[in-house]
Parts: sequence; C-alpha cells; structure tokens
Amino acid sequence: MRDLEDQILVQRALQSDPESFGKLCRRYYDTLVAIANSILPDHHLAEDAAQEALASACRDLAKLKRPERFGPWVGAICRNVAKDMLRQFRKQQEPVGTDAGNDPDCEEKDEREAILDQALQQLPQHLREVIFLRYYNEMSYEQMTKVLGATEQTIDGRLRRAKKKIAAYLKKKGFRR
Amino acid sequence: MKHENDNQWLDLLLAQHIQHEPEQLDFEKWAEKHPEEARLLRCGFEYSSRSMKTKPYLIWRFIMESKVTRYSAAAVIVLAMTLVLLSPFGTPGNGGVVLADVQKKVAGIETMILRGTKTFTYPGEPDRIFEFDGIKCKFDLVKYHSTRYGLVEEGYAEGKLFYRITFNIPEEQTLILFPKYNKYLKFASMDALAKLMENFATPNGILNLLLAGDCEKLGRDKIDGIEVEAFEFQDTEPFEPFKELLPKAVFNIKNFKAKVWIGIKEQLPVRVEGDLAIGKSFMTMFQDLNLHEVNTFGEYNVELDKDIFDTNPPEGYTELTLSDILKVIPAEAKAGLAGLGIIPAGLIFWKRRRKRAATNTD
Repeated sequence: MRDLEDQILVQRALQSDPESFGKLCRRYYDTLVAIANSILPDHHLAEDAAQEALASACRDLAKLKRPERFGPWVGAICRNVAKDMLRQFRKQQEPVGTDAGNDPDCEEKDEREAILDQALQQLPQHLREVIFLRYYNEMSYEQMTKVLGATEQTIDGRLRRAKKKIAAYLKKKGFRR
Repeated sequence: MKHENDNQWLDLLLAQHIQHEPEQLDFEKWAEKHPEEARLLRCGFEYSSRSMKTKPYLIWRFIMESKVTRYSAAAVIVLAMTLVLLSPFGTPGNGGVVLADVQKKVAGIETMILRGTKTFTYPGEPDRIFEFDGIKCKFDLVKYHSTRYGLVEEGYAEGKLFYRITFNIPEEQTLILFPKYNKYLKFASMDALAKLMENFATPNGILNLLLAGDCEKLGRDKIDGIEVEAFEFQDTEPFEPFKELLPKAVFNIKNFKAKVWIGIKEQLPVRVEGDLAIGKSFMTMFQDLNLHEVNTFGEYNVELDKDIFDTNPPEGYTELTLSDILKVIPAEAKAGLAGLGIIPAGLIFWKRRRKRAATNTD
C-alpha cells in the first residue's frame, strides 16, 4: 500500500505538484536522519545529510525508474551523502584533532556511553544501520523493509547479529548491565 | 518480530542511547533552503531530464563584446519571446469575442511560465537541423516572465542547461550564461533596446504591440482535451522595431508566421507555434535558416522568486570574449564579421595565411 502511495506521490511530484514531494519528504525524513546518524557522529550533521539527500532525490526524481521504490532509493542516496559528509568531517577534524586523539565528545561522555558508542562503531555499516533504524525512532520491521528494500527475515537476521556483536563487545569491555 | 528477545537489557540500553524524538521536516523551510529544487518541483521535471536539443547555439555562441552583437543577442531573445507572446492577440477589428476577452485576461497577467522547443533548420529541409560546433540547434525551453522583474529563458540541450538568459527590468541588466563553458555575458539593457524589452516583456506592452498585427481565424480544435480556437498570424509588422534597431546584416527577418490556440473556456493562450525565416546574417552565421518555435502555456500568475531574475554571474564563471568566439566560428562567418566591421579583415587573412604556411612546411 505504501509502495503504491509512494508511486502516486512520485508521479504527482513529477507533474509539478510540490506538495506530493513534500509528503514524501515528511514520510521519509526521520528514517533518513536515522540512516545518516548511523554513519555520522553528529545528530545535526545527520539532519543536514537527510535534507541534502532529499534535495538530491528531488533533482534526480525524473531518473527514478521504479517510483514504488522511492524509499530504498532515497535511503541509498542518503547513505552516500552521509559518507561524503563523513569524509569531509574527518578532513576538517584532522588538523585539529591529531594531538587530541579521540573524539573530544567522548571525553565528556561517561565511560558507559563511550563503550556503547565504540560497540556501535565496531559494527559493519549495514548492521549499525538496522540498529539505528530500530532504536532511533522505534521503527517497525515493516517500515524498515520500505527503506532498506530487504525482507523482514533479512532485517531480523541483521538485528540479531548486530545485537550479538554488541553484547559480545560490551562483555569483553567488562560492561555491567 | 518473532525471535525471542534474550537481550531485553540491551534493547533498553540501545533505546536509551540512540532514541530521539521523531524528526519533523518543515518542508517550507527545506524549500527555502533549496530554491533550485523547489523551482524544479513547481515548474516540472520533464524538461530537466528529457533528452533534447534546441536553440541557436550559434546565436549565443556568437555574442561578442561589440555593441552591435550584444544588441543582436538581446534582440534575438526578445524576438523568441515575441513569437510566443505576441501572437495570441489580433487586431481589434478582427475581434471575435474570444480575442476581446483574452485581451482583458492578459492585461491581468503578472507572471507566467512557458515551456517549449526552439529549432533551427535549413530552408526546405525541416528535418535537417542546423549544427554548430557539434551541437544541434534544437533546444527545450523554459521561460519565466514577470511584469515586475523581467524575463528568464532557459535552453536545454540533451538534458543539460545550455544557456540561461535573464533580463532584469528594474536593474536594467541582461545576463547570459553558458554553463557548459562557465562563461557569461553581462551588459546594461540600454537605450532603444531597453525600451523594446520593456514593451515585449510585459503583457500590457505586448498587448499594445499586438494590436498592430493582423490575424486570421482558423476554427476550433482540441489540444490535450482543451477546446481551443486557432488563429494564424502572418505579419512582420510587430518586428519593425527590431528592424530599425538591427541592420539586416546582423539579423535579417524575412518572413514570420505563427499559429495560436486559445482555450475557449479559459480565454487564455494554450499553445503557440511560430516560424521565422531568417536571411543570411550574422545571427545565422551567414546562412539562410528557419526558426521553428513551439510554446505551451500552462502556468499563469504563479509565484516567481525574485532570485530567479538575479543578474550576478555565478561563481567560477568568466566573461565571454571575442577570442572565445573566434576559436569556434567557421571561416565564412569570420569573413561576414569582417564585413560588419566587428573584426578586422586583416586578422582573418593573416590567420589563414599562417595556417597555410604551416601546412606547406609539413
């Protein structure tokens, strides 16, 4: 149903109906922020990345061959935008950050938070992404399928593996429940 | 889903660590931050992606520093606009009820967006498109008109913006951009030209000029399901101001014909097709050419951002110079330019001689 709605909204947007694109934006924005935040260290940067992804999607909307796949498509754009931003972010951080060592934010966080951050960072991107989608905004499996373009079984498997790895990492670091 | 959650403590921990309040996107703000995209959404996508061609590469490519050619360029732009806007209104004497109502309605138009194509072909060979520097002179167009701010014409070749012309009425400035080359040309819209542009760029001005024309009623038809009345114009009188401004050697308008379809219910133009025969002149690289332009009307009194009419060259653009142009134009055109006194004839022959000398040495 949502696919069909997306398809209709994309088609309307292509026929000079800005509000249809607005609906698509509102529908996917929080998901895109979650995806971007699984890549970028800063929440505000993640919001910027999500907005830039929507702009990029807007520019290329006419190239989208399967409008019903708008969700996975814009999700992939967001991933790329966030990765680009991360590269720029690291470049900017390098000159200042070399003698400081770690992310300065980590120093302010308590130890538990820092370990949890590390546990998330050591995950492969595709596993970290499902964790963020699931816990960022309590997204359902069904919602996640729309943006990841994967089945519920696949997503469930990824979540299991991700949590297993996190739990193992925390245990190794002596993290107490 | 179905799997047993043996890590409830971890769920809680992760939720506490990652969870955020649901994000709400303010689409209006987003649109303000992304004006180009917002414009695309308002004005349609088909022209941004469709493979196409259009307009006189030659014309914009040949614009030079000389005042004569600058005038010519501007005049061509105005002319293109004229083909679209001029035609829908005949003489009052011809005046069916439709035209009278159209005149009233047009007087109330403040902004409009038009789309269409512009194609240059050889006379008697409608399928043979004029090419210049490897570019087929067939462009898809988007035009923005505002009574208050002026006119913008965008020409797309093969899906990419090839030229963008901006007439800013309040600033009396004209900016022509060639994104492919990162080149621009900017000049003041002055004297008679400014007056001319003002006349042609405002619906009321256009209306006054149109009343001087003559038209024939062709009967009723249907375009995209809209019932329309068709009119044909065949008169070069509205172009007299151009003729006065531009010598024949620069822009030689030989014949003009246009058909206009006016929506019976809406009492506004729906479509315009114009054909212009241009004789050998600078603007056609000294060849006889036909210009065929089709424009579809659809959006009247839409909100147009003032920034669309900005005449500041974008960052990274450099000014188009005479030497940029001389690199690409054919020899016969250079000879024609020499005839107009725009470049010294000696320069051309000196370059030819040098080239020949180099060949002989090889």
